[in-house]
Amino acid sequence: MIQIQNLFITFGNEHIYEDFSLNIKKGEKIAISGESGKGKSTFLNLLTGFISDFEGDVFVDGLELNPKNIYNIRKKYAWLPQETALNMQSVKDLFFTPFNFSLNKEKRPEQKQIDDIFTAFSLDESILDKKVKEISGGQKQRVLLASCVLQKKAILLLDEPSSALDKRIKKRVTDHILGLKNTTIIAVTHDEYWMKCSDKVISLDKDN
Amino acid sequence: MQDVFDINYLRLFLGYALMLIPIGILWYYKTGLVKDTIIATLRMTVQLLLVGLYLEYIFKLNNAWLNIAWLIIMATLATSTIIRRTGLKYKYFLAPILISTLISILIIDAYFLGIVIKLDNVFDARYLIPITGMLLGNTIRNVIISLNAFYNRIDDEQNLYRWYLANGATRKEALLPFMRDALKKAFNPVIANTAIMGLISLPGMMTGQILGGSNPNVAVKYQIMLMITIFSSGILNVLLSIRFSNRFAFDHYGNLRKEIFRMK
Repeated sequence: MIQIQNLFITFGNEHIYEDFSLNIKKGEKIAISGESGKGKSTFLNLLTGFISDFEGDVFVDGLELNPKNIYNIRKKYAWLPQETALNMQSVKDLFFTPFNFSLNKEKRPEQKQIDDIFTAFSLDESILDKKVKEISGGQKQRVLLASCVLQKKAILLLDEPSSALDKRIKKRVTDHILGLKNTTIIAVTHDEYWMKCSDKVISLDKDN
Repeated sequence: MQDVFDINYLRLFLGYALMLIPIGILWYYKTGLVKDTIIATLRMTVQLLLVGLYLEYIFKLNNAWLNIAWLIIMATLATSTIIRRTGLKYKYFLAPILISTLISILIIDAYFLGIVIKLDNVFDARYLIPITGMLLGNTIRNVIISLNAFYNRIDDEQNLYRWYLANGATRKEALLPFMRDALKKAFNPVIANTAIMGLISLPGMMTGQILGGSNPNVAVKYQIMLMITIFSSGILNVLLSIRFSNRFAFDHYGNLRKEIFRMK
């Protein structure tokens, strides 16, 4: 699904990736761990085309990562940012905005789908009527995750998906997301349970 | 019609004394703006006196090519002011904003002078130059506000912009909320100003025409048309400036280039 060969990324004098290669199969669940500054989020930013200055070959579902293919590559993703403080007024906007894009319009979830995922993520549906500033960081994270899952994309890119969740909810959310068959999931995480449930853990603490 | 009272130089000097109020207040609050205020006032005086002299000649000659050349100079100066005040770099923004400014004044001037007023010669200096000057003077503020709102907000809220893109938005879709915000910021004050026109504020041009001896009815009609042309050219210029500058301000992956900002 994703092939990375001989990747080099340098910020100033700092080599974030040096001759890094990786193959990710379709449906594989990958956890990326490591200390701060080791390039965990950089990895997701590379795949989404937010880093344009790199050397090496990156292919996503057969498409080479380059300006020509970037929109078609991004079509395959749903992305959860680490910083969930997106400037939105209502929780409804936070949840539904991706479904306003022409690509996702047909995937706009029906009530039953919303009920199911909110139950799975221990969310009360009345949360959709609230303002974003009225809900907690953990709730925001789950609303965004639910939105990502319902987009039914081939690849989920998740930046610290369980960092704001308490232990009980963390397990439910992790089990649900990592139980999605055929969905390739790449998560930057420090969470041991998430790492334990993933197919592969890539630690960036070692030399790339 | 009553003759217009000329302002002799002594009275003009007395008028300048009013500037002591803003200068005093700015000095008292240590805003650091006193020098800028004095320079701006001096510049305004010299520029207007020179323009007065120049316009006298240009009106006498009334040569279409000369008028067009003057119009291009005005548009270039307006563009330069816009870029300087936005904190963006000339390298990326000079061409797109100059082109947007020229296109917007060309369309609005042609419509207003050629179709509404139906001048035999749309390049007539007496109409073309003051009306273009009014359009440009009012457009500058709109474009500065909108460019600042648009590019600074995308930069400040990079995470939001990326969230749109990485969840399937086309670039146009991802930029739409920022465009909407920029238009609101630039045109909310224009709408408010338009709504109170005549009640609370009497516009400068109309006042000038009335003081200059025109019939108030004619002055009002010109003012109405000017308000509409200013609104239209402003919004057209904002839209084109943002659309044209997008080509230079984003890289091939749709990421905002950090190097477009002078200060950041």
